Amino acid sequence: MEALTIIRPESLSLSSEQVRALMPYFLVFGGIMLATLLAVVKGIKPKWPVFLLAVATAVVGVVASANLIPDATIGMFNGMMVSDSYSHFFNVIFMASAGITILASLRYLDREQLQHPEYYVLVLLSALGMMLMTSALDLIVIFIALEIMSLAVYVLVGFRRTDKKSNEAAMKYFILGSAASAILLYGAALLYGATQSTNIHEILKFTQAQPAGMTPLFTLGVWLVMIGFLFKVASVPFHMWMPDVYEGAPAPVTGFMTTGLKAAAFASFMRFFISMGYGTTLSATLQAHIHDILWVSAVLTMIVGNVIALTQTNLKRMLAYSSIAHSGYLLVGLLAGSGTPGGYSAVVFYLVAYAIMNLGAFIILTVISNREDTGLNLHDVSGLASRSPWLSFAMAVFLFSMAGIPPTAGFAAKYMLFYSAIQAHETPLVIISVLCSSISVYYYLRVLVYMYMREPVGSAPASRVSMWSALAVALMVAMTLQFGVVPARLVEVTKRAVASL
Amino acid sequence: MALSEFQVEPWLVLAFCSAIFFIGLAGLLIRRNILVILMCIELMLNAVNLTFVTFSKIHNHMGGQMSVFFIITVAAAESAVGLGLVIAMFRTVRSVDTDEIQLLKQ
Repeated sequence: MEALTIIRPESLSLSSEQVRALMPYFLVFGGIMLATLLAVVKGIKPKWPVFLLAVATAVVGVVASANLIPDATIGMFNGMMVSDSYSHFFNVIFMASAGITILASLRYLDREQLQHPEYYVLVLLSALGMMLMTSALDLIVIFIALEIMSLAVYVLVGFRRTDKKSNEAAMKYFILGSAASAILLYGAALLYGATQSTNIHEILKFTQAQPAGMTPLFTLGVWLVMIGFLFKVASVPFHMWMPDVYEGAPAPVTGFMTTGLKAAAFASFMRFFISMGYGTTLSATLQAHIHDILWVSAVLTMIVGNVIALTQTNLKRMLAYSSIAHSGYLLVGLLAGSGTPGGYSAVVFYLVAYAIMNLGAFIILTVISNREDTGLNLHDVSGLASRSPWLSFAMAVFLFSMAGIPPTAGFAAKYMLFYSAIQAHETPLVIISVLCSSISVYYYLRVLVYMYMREPVGSAPASRVSMWSALAVALMVAMTLQFGVVPARLVEVTKRAVASL
Repeated sequence: MALSEFQVEPWLVLAFCSAIFFIGLAGLLIRRNILVILMCIELMLNAVNLTFVTFSKIHNHMGGQMSVFFIITVAAAESAVGLGLVIAMFRTVRSVDTDEIQLLKQ
């Protein structure tokens, strides 16, 4: 085994540029450790110090990552990690969604008598896993980051420890999530067998060297890794866990999962997808197979997500199915990405828009729900507009955005996604997407009809909105409208991010 | 090399690994006891470990053997969280049978 020389000692030390590029990770990690310490200091109540420190960490993470977006690409740790615009752009999304989730959770945790400081630490830890996942270039590092992210989220899903539903959701998520990670890892092992490396750039070089045929080992490895990713983004037929988990998890955690987890899974999936040479160096047969199967999966995901969402009366569950449907649109973008310049940037833009509107919607669900997340059925929101006009207005903005109605971010995102798919000659896929999208208008607007046009049932008092939640919702509304009206700046940034891949 | 006389064919080991992996996957889908399901997850991860080591030996390349250490560490963390969740569930449901946890409608 003379191959030990591949690990050179000099590649283990960090240059000053690398330290600069790693700053967001160091700062967030430091914040997490400090928060953990604060949580166990004797003699102080940990609630406020940990909460404020967690918010500060998230803000620092956002600022530090945003500063690094224009920087050049820097490889790190013997090519295992990379710092490029793409990873830092997603870091901003993860830290922002973690920060917003933390802001929205304070009052919720008080109400549910769950005010444990671990909650904030786990949210940040999961966000750190996401950050590592998008900047990982090695399948093993992707696996480790995926587990850092998932393990924290398993605990968060089961955070309402005395509630059977929460436990059940955590258990289901844990079992299926671990199985998916194991499948991804087995794929990585087979790819290692086929190409002698787990580094996705080395795998790309391997496909470039052999344009004609792929060994069965390589094909199987690619498929197993893809199945692992498809599970994480909840595309049909690997979507069964999502509605149950979303319904059982505490509402702010569900919001965090729909935004952070989905964006992380897609970001890493996209990196793998491009790096394995789809659309460029991958052999034509394998590429055709991947295209056909993802095509079917995207169509089924959109149809199943939208059609089942029609029949849901629980808002959390409805949004879970709508989240599955949105995964379908994103898969359309992924398939079209290689066929047109700026194709992948449409996916990134969609992820941002989706994160904003979904986070906002879940904060509102958090605020209007009763104890133990009950009272989230359709008839519970009837007449909400007369009780809480501002909340209803914000919810309306988010629902319009999810349905893709201008002038919201959701419209701009869908427009760009479908436009890039048409340019990539995926017209049948776009027709199906648009039809599915028009189905979705029904169930999104039904909520609006209940909120604005029905009489209130009973005499529920207006929901009390904490200052922090109000701040978070206002921010989300402003961003939804801003990216809907003037998307140009965000488009520029997403293009720059994708160009660095 | 006295050891080489006892060498196993690599493809045999790989076939063995994939058999273990799919036994684990099947057990995860079929069995009803959560503790057994946790063991099945471990089985899958260990099959992956063995695959990595085998390929590492075939290619004469150290990367695979190093990956195994990371996977073992992650698997340990995963079991810890999994068992924690099982305990939390047992406290409320008083059972470790997956048939007992069907509150969330399919």
